[in-house]
Amino acid sequence: MALLEVSSLSKLFGGLMAVSSLSFSVEQGQLVSIIGPNGAGKTTLFNLLTGVYKPTSGRVLFEGKDITGCKPFQSARIGIGRTFQRTMVFARETVLDNVMIGQALHVKNGVWGAIARSAAARREEIKVREKARSLLDFVGLAHTEERQAGTLTEEAQKRLSIAMVLAADPKLLLLDEPTGGVNLEEIGGLIELVQKIRQSGITVCLIEHKMRMVMSMSDHIIVLNYGTNIAEGTPAEVAGNSEVIKAYLGARRVA
Amino acid sequence: MKKVLSPMRIGWSLALVLAIVLPLVVGEYMTSILLLIAIWSIVAVSLNLLYGYTGQLSLGHSAFFGIGAYALGLIAVKLHIGFWPAFFAATAITGLFGFLVGIPALKLRGPYFVLVTLGFAAIVGVILLAWVDFTGGANGLAGMPRPNPLPLPSGGSLRFDSLLSMYYFVLFFLVAISLICHRLVHSLIGQTFIAISHDENLAEALGINTMRQKLISFTISALFSGMAGALYASYNVVISPDLAHFARGMDVLACLIVGGAGTMAGPVIGTFVMMAIPEALQIVPSLKTFINGVILLLFIVFLPAGITGGFKALFSKRDIQG
Repeated sequence: MALLEVSSLSKLFGGLMAVSSLSFSVEQGQLVSIIGPNGAGKTTLFNLLTGVYKPTSGRVLFEGKDITGCKPFQSARIGIGRTFQRTMVFARETVLDNVMIGQALHVKNGVWGAIARSAAARREEIKVREKARSLLDFVGLAHTEERQAGTLTEEAQKRLSIAMVLAADPKLLLLDEPTGGVNLEEIGGLIELVQKIRQSGITVCLIEHKMRMVMSMSDHIIVLNYGTNIAEGTPAEVAGNSEVIKAYLGARRVA
Repeated sequence: MKKVLSPMRIGWSLALVLAIVLPLVVGEYMTSILLLIAIWSIVAVSLNLLYGYTGQLSLGHSAFFGIGAYALGLIAVKLHIGFWPAFFAATAITGLFGFLVGIPALKLRGPYFVLVTLGFAAIVGVILLAWVDFTGGANGLAGMPRPNPLPLPSGGSLRFDSLLSMYYFVLFFLVAISLICHRLVHSLIGQTFIAISHDENLAEALGINTMRQKLISFTISALFSGMAGALYASYNVVISPDLAHFARGMDVLACLIVGGAGTMAGPVIGTFVMMAIPEALQIVPSLKTFINGVILLLFIVFLPAGITGGFKALFSKRDIQG
C-alpha cells in the first residue's frame, strides 16, 4: 500500500482547471519531487492534499484512509506536514517558541492544567521545550533559540519552518520550494537537511525548480503541466521524456 | 530567567500595594472611582485575552458585561436566592452565551467577526430595553444584593456592606482573573492563542484546531466580562440597559489600546489612565468622551503599542544594544 494515493484529483477555480484528473502515489520512504512550469498546479496540489482547498472531484488516500476534504489541522494531525513557498514563521515569537508551537497538536494538558500549573502540565512543558531544542539542533539552529524568528535570515527561517513541521512528527513532509529565495551558497546546506530528514525515515514530497537538485536526490519525479501529470518516473526517465522537454522549453513553432 | 526580584514582580507588587493602600487615604468619592476602574479593568483584562493574545477583536464585550449584570439581578431579585449562587450562576450563564455566540461568530475572520460582535451587542441592548416585563426596560432593575457575609474560620465573618469592603472584593477578582489570564497565556495553550493571533493559516497548518482554541479563548473572555458585570450590579444596586451598549465595548477597547494590548499590565494601566485622567482634571462629564478620544488618537499615532508595549520595546532595544 502506498503511503499517499491520489486518484483523479481535480480542482476548478471558476473556469480554470488548476488541477485536472491527477493520479499518482507516493511510496513509504521515498523522496518524490514535483516539478513543472509556473502555474502548473504544484502548490494547488499541496493545498488540496492538506485540506486548504476542497477538491472539485477525486480522492486522496493517506495510509489507506480517505482524507479527501479534511481540514488543514486534521491533515496535520494524521501525519501530513507542510511548509509554504513564502517562508512562514511566527516572526515576533522566539525561535524556540516557534518550534514549541509546532508541537501543539500533541499537547494533552488543557485549560485547567494551565491555570492550576499542575505538575503534569509543567512536566509536559519541559518535555515540549526539550524536544524543541533537539529539533533546533537537528536543523542547525541551536544557537538561535532566544532570538525573534523574524530577525533570522531567509535561509535560517526556512530551517526554522522545517523544524516547526517536524515538531508534529509527520509521516509525510510536503516541502514547497525548500531552497526558494535563498542565496546560491546556502542551497547545499538545505539540500543536506532534506536528505537528513529523509534518512530519518520521513517520506518527503517536494516542489522544486532547481533541476540539478531534483535530478540528484529524487527517487521519483512527477512532472505537472496545466494541472495534470505529463510524465512520471525516475530522474533518468523523466529527463529523456519529450513531453517534459516540450513543457519546459516550448514546442518548436512552425513559422 | 526566573529571578524572584525581577522588575516585573517588583512592579506588580508595588501596584498591588498601591491598590490596597490608596483607597484608605483618598476618601469615599475617589474610592468609588477606583472601584469602577477595577471593574472595567476586569473587562479590559478579559478582552485582552481574546484580542491581545488571540487576535480576535470583539466590540461587543459590553453585551457580556450587561448579560452578567442582568443575570445576577434577575436571578437574585426574581428568584430571591442569595448573592453567591446568583453570582456564580450569572458568571456561568455569560460563559454559556459566549460559547453559543462564539460558535457561529468565530467561523468568520477579521472585520466580519468584529461586525458580528457589534451586532450581538446591539441585539442584547435592544432586548434589555424592549423586554420590559422581564428586564424592566428603560427603568432597569434595582435591588441587587451585596455579597452575603462570608464566615471566617476564626469565628467572625467577612462583610461587604461598606464601600471599602466592596472595593477589596472587586480588587480580589481583578487580581485573581489577571493571574488566571497570565498563567493561561504563558502556557502551551497560550502559545496556540498567540500563534492564532499572528497567523491563523499557519497555526491551522501546524495542526492547531484554531476554531476550538478561539472558542476557548472567547468563552473564557465572555465569562470574565460577565463576572465583572455581576460585580457591577451588586455594587451599584441599580442597572440599566445602557450597560450593554456597544459604546462601552469601544471604551474598553480604547483602554486596552492605550494601556497596550497583548501585555499583562496594559489593560489595567489603560483603564486607569482613561478613567482617572478626566476625573483628576475635574472635567464635566460631557467632555470626558472628547478627552478620551484625544488620548486614544495620540496613542494610536505616537505609541500604537500602548504604554506597556512602549516600555517593552524600550527594554528590548536596550537588550540588543547591551
